[in-house]
This record gives sequence, C-alpha cells and structure tokens, in this order.
Amino acid sequence: MLETEELKKVFKGKTAVNGVNLYMDKGESVGLLGPNGAGKSTTISMISSLIKPTSGDVKLKGQSVLKDPGIIRNVLGVVPQEIALYEELTAYENLKFFGRIYGLKGKELEAKIQEVLEIVGLKERQKEIVKTYSGGMQRRVNMAAAMLHEPELLIMDEPTVGIDPQSRTHILDTVRHLNQEKGLTVLYTSHYMEEVERLCDRVYIMDHGQIIASGTKDELKSILSGEETILIDLDRPYPDLVTDLQSHDGIRQTIETEKGLKLIVPKGSKLLGSIFQVAERHQAQILNVNVKVPTLEDVFLHLTGRKLRD
Amino acid sequence: MKSVFILQWQRFRRAPILVLSFLGMTILFVSVLAGFGGPNSQFTIYTYGDPSLEEEMKVKWLDRLNEAENLTFKWVEESEAHDAVSSRDAGLALKLMNDDYRILIAVQEPSSVSVENYVYQVFSEELRLQEVASQADGEEFRSELERVMNEPAIQIVTESLSGEESTFIYDDQLHVLFGMTLFFSIYTIMFSLMNVAEEKRVGTWDRLIVSPLYKWQIYTGHLLYSFLIGYFQILVAFLFFQFLFGFDLGERYGMLLLVIACYTFAIVSLGMLVMGLVKRSQQMQAVVPILATAMAMLGGAYWPIEIVTNEILLALSKGMPIYYGLDALKGAAIYNFGLPELVQPISIMLLFGVVCMGIGINLMERRA
Repeated sequence: MLETEELKKVFKGKTAVNGVNLYMDKGESVGLLGPNGAGKSTTISMISSLIKPTSGDVKLKGQSVLKDPGIIRNVLGVVPQEIALYEELTAYENLKFFGRIYGLKGKELEAKIQEVLEIVGLKERQKEIVKTYSGGMQRRVNMAAAMLHEPELLIMDEPTVGIDPQSRTHILDTVRHLNQEKGLTVLYTSHYMEEVERLCDRVYIMDHGQIIASGTKDELKSILSGEETILIDLDRPYPDLVTDLQSHDGIRQTIETEKGLKLIVPKGSKLLGSIFQVAERHQAQILNVNVKVPTLEDVFLHLTGRKLRD
Repeated sequence: MKSVFILQWQRFRRAPILVLSFLGMTILFVSVLAGFGGPNSQFTIYTYGDPSLEEEMKVKWLDRLNEAENLTFKWVEESEAHDAVSSRDAGLALKLMNDDYRILIAVQEPSSVSVENYVYQVFSEELRLQEVASQADGEEFRSELERVMNEPAIQIVTESLSGEESTFIYDDQLHVLFGMTLFFSIYTIMFSLMNVAEEKRVGTWDRLIVSPLYKWQIYTGHLLYSFLIGYFQILVAFLFFQFLFGFDLGERYGMLLLVIACYTFAIVSLGMLVMGLVKRSQQMQAVVPILATAMAMLGGAYWPIEIVTNEILLALSKGMPIYYGLDALKGAAIYNFGLPELVQPISIMLLFGVVCMGIGINLMERRA
C-alpha cells in the first residue's frame, strides 16, 4: 500500500533522515520505534506530504506522493504529537470543522461525529470546551479528528505522550480495534516500547535518522535469541562492581539501571553463582534478582547501546 | 476556504473581547476628542436685554450677532439666562444694551473666549460705523459702504488645488473620526491575523496542510476573515458617529466604502508581511502596537498632515497606507471627490497591499 524509497531530509546542513526505506501492506499495523531525535517525526511528515524530502520518494499504491500530494491527503488521517485542536471550541465543533474539510456534511457528518465520539468515549461531554478537558481527553479528541473521514491509512505520532494511564489504555484499545476490526492500516510512532509491542505487527527501529533494524516483533527479538537478561536490584550504586562485571568473560553487556544493574548474558550460561561471588567481594547487598527473556527494549539497547528514552 | 472562514467567526464568537475592545476604544477616543463641543458644533448663547434696550436695537444686534456660522444668539428672559448660567447649562449669557453689552459668565472656558472676542468685534465695528455715519451723512454713508463692500476695489482670493478658498479644509470631527478609526482597525486586523501564527504554533495548520484543502484556500479563509472584521469595525464606527452624533460624512457613500475596502486590504497585507518577518506570535504582539502607533503618527491620524513642515516626516508619511486612507476618506467626505480624483490614493493602497501580500506569503512559506 505504502512504501518509501531512500527518503532523505537535510535541515540547514544537518541530516535528520538518511535513506529510509519502509513499506506497509494494507491492514497492517507498523511501529516506528526510536528515541527522541531519531527522525521519526520527520519521516512521517514526509510520508504525510507535510514536508518535501530532500531526496527519495513516497509511493502510495505505486503512485508518487511527491508528484501529487493529493493522492495521500484524501485517504490519510494524521494524529499529531501535539494537541492540534481549537481549544476555545467544543469537541463537537472541532470535529464538525475537521469533518467539513474532508468534504463531509449534513447527516453523514453528524453520524460520523457521533460515531467517533463514541469510539473515543467522549459522547457525553462533546459540548464542552476543549480547553476544559484533561490532557488525556484532549488527546482522544485529537485522535477522533483524524478518524472522522474513515481514512485508509492512520499515522499516529506519539499519541500517548503525557497522558494518564486510563486515557492511554483507551487510545491503545481504540487503535487496536480500528486495525483489527476495521482493517485500518496504522503507522504508529512511539518511544514507549510496550505500546509498540502491544499494537504492531511489524516494527522499524530508527536511530540517528536511519532504520537500524526491522521485522516482526519475534524476528527482532530473535536478534537476542541466544541471550537472556538478568536484572539485579541493589541497595545502592556500586561503581567498582560494575567495572568488575564489565570485564567478566561470560557477561556480554552490563548496564546500570535506576534500581541496580541489567546484564545481558548468553542463554543458559548459569552465571548467577559467579555474579553473586563478585557482588559479595564488593560487599554489595542484592535485594532482588530476575532472569527474563529479551524485549524490544533489550533489542534496541543491543543495537544502539542506549535506552529508548535517553 | 468556506470552512476555514466560518471557523474564524466561530472562534470570534467564543472570544470576541479583543475585537470589541478595539471598536469600543475607537468610539471612546472619537467621542472624547471630537464628539462633544468641537469647533464645528453649534454654540448657543443665551441673550437677554437691559430694560433700556429698544426693540429696534434688539433686532438689529441679534441680526448682526447671528451672522456668525457657529454661534446662535438665542433671545431669552433674563431669569432664564441667569438660571442657565448658574446651573451650568450654558457657559455664558449676553446682556444687550443699546450701544453696549455685558457678559454673564460663571466659569471661564476656552469657548467663552472666542464668544467674547466675537461679540467685542461685532460691537466695536458697528459702533465705529455708527460714529463715522453720525459725522457724515448717515443714510448715504451706509448705502455707499454697502456698495463698496459688495464691489471691493481689491479682491484677494486664495485658492488651493482643490479649488477651495483656503489651503485645506480642516474638519476636526471628521479628522478625529477617520484617524482614530483607521488607527484602531490596524490592531483588530493584525491581531486577528495572528490566528495564522497561532495555528502554526499549536499544529492545526499542519493538520490543514495534510488535508485535501489547498494552501490558498486556507490562506484565503483567514485573510477574508481579517479583512471583513477590520472592514466592519470601520463601517460600524462611521455609522455610529454619523447617526448618533450627526457627523457629516458627505454623500459619497460608495466611494467611502471603496476607500475603506482598499485601506483594509493594505493593512491585511501589511499584517501578512509582518507575520512573515517575525518568528513567533509573541513577537507579533510586541510589533503591532509599535507599528500601528508609528504609522498613525507619521501618516497623520493624530493630527492633520498639512500642519507638518518637516520634509523627512512628510516623505515618511508617503510610505504609510493610513496616509492614503485618510487622504481618500477626506477627499470623499469633505471635498465630495469621486473615483477620478481618488484614483491615486486608492491605487497606491492597492499596490502597497499586493506587494506586501506577495512578500509576506513568500516569507511565511519559506520559513515553513
């Protein structure tokens, strides 16, 4: 349905996106994962025809979006990262306006407004001024405005930033419903790993303007299939312990976390005993130990050497 | 375009205070500066007679005194005149005698000085003529004087390019009305244009760009709204002062509407240029008052440009759309000019608008 060819964007000599190739099939839910500043927003801005790429092209059903942006604008819904609403108007008035600009009118527009308000759970409060809503409610209206015209492709740019857990769950459930029940194609960008794991069939991982890995969740996790993660909670930081573990032959990666340490070790290496010995040597008090299989977060860490929210 | 245009009115309906406050300030300033007791308003002087005043002299003095354009000498009873002055309904009253007068005054006001001067002038002139007439042959002198006055030996005529008998006609009321209205409309128009900058800031602009709307439709919706809100503000102010305060706007209503439209277009375009130059809406908020005040001062909104003699200031005034707006409005309202006479200021305002609009949109798009 959609593919990008060597997308590149340079801002004042600085390359924000460099040779991005990605594709999406109809009905797929694809995640674009990366830390802040990775180039996700620039990439989706180029896909949605908001900004022109320095080079490369975006093709929708084989047609160049660069040559005719109109082909994507009629079938696209964009949920921007910011609350892009008229806050002095009610939710209903906002939706009425956004519906009109997509050519909806009369009873059809009214029906669609009520339908999306039902989906985002704001039907009862539709006549209230948007600025009186909580951040989570505003984000739900923000999303509803992109769904009114029943787009074929929905691009969501970090739609859950800064909201309460209840609204986040509501938004994620809505996206999953739209994708699985209605066959909507979704491109979901986030730096929340758990959201992407929950919603997306395939994932592109971006860093420094480039796609550094892609595939299904299982394919990506298989990058670390020969490894497992040991999480150790400590009573306080022990810098010397970290140094010792980093030079330990059996441990592939040692990362300091808020609670203690995260160790990437070969699967089935039975290193716990020697780790306890090293800890004892440094008189470190271990509060908890947890051995788990790798997550996408671990994959990202493995690929980039840094955490998603750095 | 229609949706964007309607949206702006919806937003105005929800937050009308800013625009209405500028209309309110226009009305307040014009009312204070020109609405009450301006030089053009009729000033009524309560006039009564001394018991010794003869009926023939009373009629003669009243006729002579009422030759003034802006003064009306109204004959009343002495008690009524006293009451009016003591209750401050009248600033002063005039007591006529056969060959003298007295002025009854409670508080000295600027207007009373001019009345005193006028009455003194009428009496001294008449008494001087009476003196000369009594020394010559009275009746013959009077008729000879009248003949000479009607056919003077030397006649001095001062004529301006407009064909009037003075350098320029200064109508204080209209000048204040036009100046203040055009001045405050700059604020309304430019602050309403800030919706564009605000939309870019919050991200709704990007949302519109990725919709099926064309960019020109989005711009036109915004510009048309700003144009109409400014146009209506000027129109409402003019109608308010014409019908409630009796300001004389002449009979060239069509020309006035055309001039207002051209001026509003020029200011909308100037607003687009400013938006193209500044980076944030907060900067625009700082720039607009400076720009509006500077334009009003240089363009002659606060005082008639005809009294300015400094060549540099006069040259600068020619770069201000408000100068041409005032010029054209005064031309239509005071001099009864039509399109042929006003084609120059109208063309300059349109040209100014086209240039500013072109540069402004170009700058904004480059930044995007």
